[in-house]
Amino acid sequence: MRGLVKPAWIAWFRETDAMVGAIALAIFILIALLAPTLAPYDPHEFSGRPLERPSPSHWLGTNDAGQDILSELIYGARISIAVGTGAAVGTVVLGILVGGVAGYAGGAVDVLLMRTVDVMMTLPRLPLLILLAAFLGSGLLQTMAIISLLFWPATARVIRAQVQSLRGREYVKMAYNFGAGAGYVLLRHILPQIGPLIAFGWITAAGRAVAMEAGLAFLGLGDPTAKSWGLMMRFALNLPGLFLTDRWLWWLLPPGLCITLLILALTFFGMGLERRLHPRLAR
Amino acid sequence: MMREPLLSVRDLYVHFPPPQRGDGPMVRAVDGVSFNLASGEALAIVGESGSGKTSLGRALLGLHPHGTTRGSIRLEGRELSDLSEQKWRPLRWRRLAMTVQGVGTAFDPVYRIGEQIAEPLREHFALSVEAAAVRVHELAQQVGLEQRHLRAYPHQLSGGEKQRAMLAMALSCHPDVLIVDEPTSGQDALSRARLIALLRELRRETSLSLLLITHDLAAAAQLADRVAVLYAGRLLEVGTNLDVLERPRHPYTWGLLNAYPSMTTARDLRGIRGQSPDAADPPAGCRFHPRCTQAEEICRRVEPSLVEQDGRLIACHLGGLGILLQAWDLHKAFSTNGRGALARPGTAEQVEAVRRASLQVYHGEVVALVGETGSGKTTLGRLLVGLLKADAGRVVFEGQELATMGKQSRKALRQRIQFIAQDPFDAVSPRLRVAEIVREPLDIQGIGHLAERREKVIGVLRAVGLSPDEAFLRRRAHELSGGQLQRVAIARALVLDPRLIVADEPVSMLDASEQAKVINLLKEIQNERGMGLLIISHDLALVRKVADRILVMRQGEIVEEGPASQIVTQPRHQYTRALLGAAPAFGWKLG
Amino acid sequence: MKSRVAAYLLTVWAVLTLNFILPRLLPGDPLSSLLDPESSEYVFDGEVRAALEAYYGLDRPLLDQYLAYLKGAVTGDLGRSILLNRGVGELILSHLPWTLLLTGTALSLASVLGMLGGAEAAWRRGTSTDRLLTTASVIAGNAPVYFVGMILLIIFGAELKLLPLAGGRTPFAHYDGPLSAAADMGRHLVLPALTLTLGLLGTKFLLVRNNVVGILGEDFMLVARAKGLKPRRLKWSHALRNALLPFVAHLAAHAGLAMTGAVFIETLFDYPGMGRLIFQAVGARDYPVIQGVFLMVALVVLSANLAADWLNLRLDPRLAEEARK
Repeated sequence: MRGLVKPAWIAWFRETDAMVGAIALAIFILIALLAPTLAPYDPHEFSGRPLERPSPSHWLGTNDAGQDILSELIYGARISIAVGTGAAVGTVVLGILVGGVAGYAGGAVDVLLMRTVDVMMTLPRLPLLILLAAFLGSGLLQTMAIISLLFWPATARVIRAQVQSLRGREYVKMAYNFGAGAGYVLLRHILPQIGPLIAFGWITAAGRAVAMEAGLAFLGLGDPTAKSWGLMMRFALNLPGLFLTDRWLWWLLPPGLCITLLILALTFFGMGLERRLHPRLAR
Repeated sequence: MMREPLLSVRDLYVHFPPPQRGDGPMVRAVDGVSFNLASGEALAIVGESGSGKTSLGRALLGLHPHGTTRGSIRLEGRELSDLSEQKWRPLRWRRLAMTVQGVGTAFDPVYRIGEQIAEPLREHFALSVEAAAVRVHELAQQVGLEQRHLRAYPHQLSGGEKQRAMLAMALSCHPDVLIVDEPTSGQDALSRARLIALLRELRRETSLSLLLITHDLAAAAQLADRVAVLYAGRLLEVGTNLDVLERPRHPYTWGLLNAYPSMTTARDLRGIRGQSPDAADPPAGCRFHPRCTQAEEICRRVEPSLVEQDGRLIACHLGGLGILLQAWDLHKAFSTNGRGALARPGTAEQVEAVRRASLQVYHGEVVALVGETGSGKTTLGRLLVGLLKADAGRVVFEGQELATMGKQSRKALRQRIQFIAQDPFDAVSPRLRVAEIVREPLDIQGIGHLAERREKVIGVLRAVGLSPDEAFLRRRAHELSGGQLQRVAIARALVLDPRLIVADEPVSMLDASEQAKVINLLKEIQNERGMGLLIISHDLALVRKVADRILVMRQGEIVEEGPASQIVTQPRHQYTRALLGAAPAFGWKLG
Repeated sequence: MKSRVAAYLLTVWAVLTLNFILPRLLPGDPLSSLLDPESSEYVFDGEVRAALEAYYGLDRPLLDQYLAYLKGAVTGDLGRSILLNRGVGELILSHLPWTLLLTGTALSLASVLGMLGGAEAAWRRGTSTDRLLTTASVIAGNAPVYFVGMILLIIFGAELKLLPLAGGRTPFAHYDGPLSAAADMGRHLVLPALTLTLGLLGTKFLLVRNNVVGILGEDFMLVARAKGLKPRRLKWSHALRNALLPFVAHLAAHAGLAMTGAVFIETLFDYPGMGRLIFQAVGARDYPVIQGVFLMVALVVLSANLAADWLNLRLDPRLAEEARK
């Protein structure tokens, strides 16, 4: 009996984890976009008494300043998504620039750039991050910049490898034979081929960026005015005797859960994307 | 003498689930194979890549995942196919051992060679490290490796050395059956020769039974007693070494041998037309039929089974390669003082143009009839086609006697045999247009209506490399060059889709560059359509490029015949040698 | 090997230079602001201020500053902590052992568990056990380490009250002997180490599993099976042994990861290691400490890298060959 070969998309979506990831990601993005509509209060507004327990007017209670935790949570999605996106963009752009130039030019340029990448990759991330954040100051833009500065080496390596291999392909050489310039070759042949890699790298970078941003905020290096999930956790932990009551349940746990879920969503989605890009690795 | 075979395989099937996890047909790597291996015998399983031979080898050691293998594998009467993994382990390597094709990845990169050869010894015989080392040393000597090889890591050894180490490892536990998978692939000629010599020696020294899995026909020829030809998971021909490789019966075997490069063949390589079959979706009926030059209706519908025929097994509805044209003891004489009405009575000298000529042309074969002017080759050609009537002897075409054919049969015969003459300007009426020339046979035979005939004409003109646009179709014969006209003549010969084309000096009137092109064209068409081709020529150097067999003719007699490679390199008859020596293309002198 | 040592030294130098340049390059001139009475960073304590002035030497030419800095780094003079008014070098030395204890324990545990689990999962690839373990690893590996720590803290510390909530050992405790000291420190180590182990376990498990799956598909595994070897030998002596090679290579990267995780965990559990040190320093903008810790951590990670390289060379005969060339 002959079987049907299902289209690639449907087969992909049958992988439950990737699908779950995609849906979860979509939900988070929606929440971020619709934050003003969804949140009951402005998160900066002192809408209640400090440290209130959950009630119909404040589903998750209030923090130590009397601000609604649920609203903080919903608006926090914006920060995480924004930083994740921003840092991912930075990482990918830097990665393409450096990796692309290195892989394309080859020779001394390649060696120099890759040595730099090697050195950067051996440096321990967080301490460097802390160092930079301490000196550069906090602020969302700085956070995004710092995270990009830390993650671009890995992306650059991958992109360089691909560009290098593409450059050696026959059809690129043929294009030169026809008189094409470097710009044409880059645009027409190389860029479309590394597209999938970029997409995958982007998702991965976003996941790591979200984790890092929350971590930085948690450590007190993030933007104190941006109400991110990490910051929420930091304030919660600062409360003496947090664990002696059950306050942690509605103040500490929700932001932590949200961070975890967003990162997992990105990871599973990225894994599904990778499976599609490299079907041979599926087993 | 009927001895119980050492290894007996019956109805072996190895089916793998489709690689993508979706639905799709199973991959039928081995699809119903049966054979025996006697003790001390060497059997070669030959086939192209994708034929299933590696899967077959691995199935004999029970290495495939559970549920993929079906059928019976009996070793000395004991059934192996239903054994559990646990029961298999003590048998593996001790009774059956194997080498793998990819010698680069056969060894674990982190252990030394010596250790890995010793491993099965320690596992199966519980030898101590020292005792195992002694045995390993013995084995190394047997295969020609030294101590330094044993101490080395796999990546430090060359391909040939690793191949020998694999052999040593395989022989370590004195197996009854050794399965060698592509021992010669990817190796240079010297390593190959050394390895084959080694295997032969090993067979001589031990009573090893060898199962050689290979696509290297030369290796099979040198090592095997019997040969089994595997195609798309099924056996097509099984017989002795000599039978299968020197006198192949199955069209596939024959095609395989022709496609095989050798130092002695000056002929250009032509593969077997068509594509290798898809293991997940083999053709219906006989699996080879889409590529077979003599496929009939039954071949398309019914799968043939292996039957006994003249001491070998063959799976073909038609019993193997068919003979297209056969001639026995043909005689033809001409009077020197004119013919027919111009004959003068009285003493008439008879010139025997053809004497006692016998030959065969198989389906899909290219035979060259070579000789000087006056050797009688042209006459013989015309006799075979029926343009001349023989004084004595028989000509049988596709089983029918030419002599006893009725008028209807003769007309039908014209469809199946076509003739291409030497001089295109002579063979074609100069005033006719191209379209008319090529269409003529269709007109005479009354095939199809005008539009259909036109279609056919366009088709064959394309096949000979001419552009069938309106302008060209309307050109008259005298406007064309020699080369173009000969092509038109060939197109005309093709239009009836004949089974045999006899070409009499098809290129001798053309200039050198055209000669090469037209001769190649003929060969290409022959390969594509699978018809038989008989080329009559004086130019040995030219025909050796396209011919499978060569017949040498002198003064009316066929003095030598044989495979093209043999005729050109080891001519037996003096005349053949003279011809070769005189041929301008050959730079060397014959001593 | 020699080239690796050279690269190592080069990177150390790069770290030192980075450490030196960064604060001096950045906008807002953070160092001078420490000494500027107008700025918010101004250090009031005269003694500390004098020490900082001496250490940073901002009024001297740049090259002098650089050389002085390098000299200081080599001799162990890393400045003075603004917050705690102690030598930075001394501070680091007192905090380093705790961090090494934590990361060392976690790395070892994660490695062993990761290898065993990964190999088993690969052996049973495709089965539900494998899918379950793999998914669990992905979750464990991606969940932020502080979150996992929190959960564990809540469950075991707050709710079940089995383990201490914070600290490296019970404060102001008196020990009868080394055993009771070890026991107390051990109890305090459990949660932090467990958290870090879980964080590292995810990646290690997946790495080993994927490696082993790849190896199982190689021809030499088929040959080994055909030789009739026992499954145990196939799994450990052949498959895992080969998987060890890329694993060791990754160990180096994981050392860095472990350090990162340690910062979060020490902060969360108030564990007296370098992570907590740098956290406190950051809060107080204690630049000398921040710089000193960064240097120390970088050194530890780089040394781990070097050790991993050396180990790799011993394990893989193919590399040893190349190294000799």
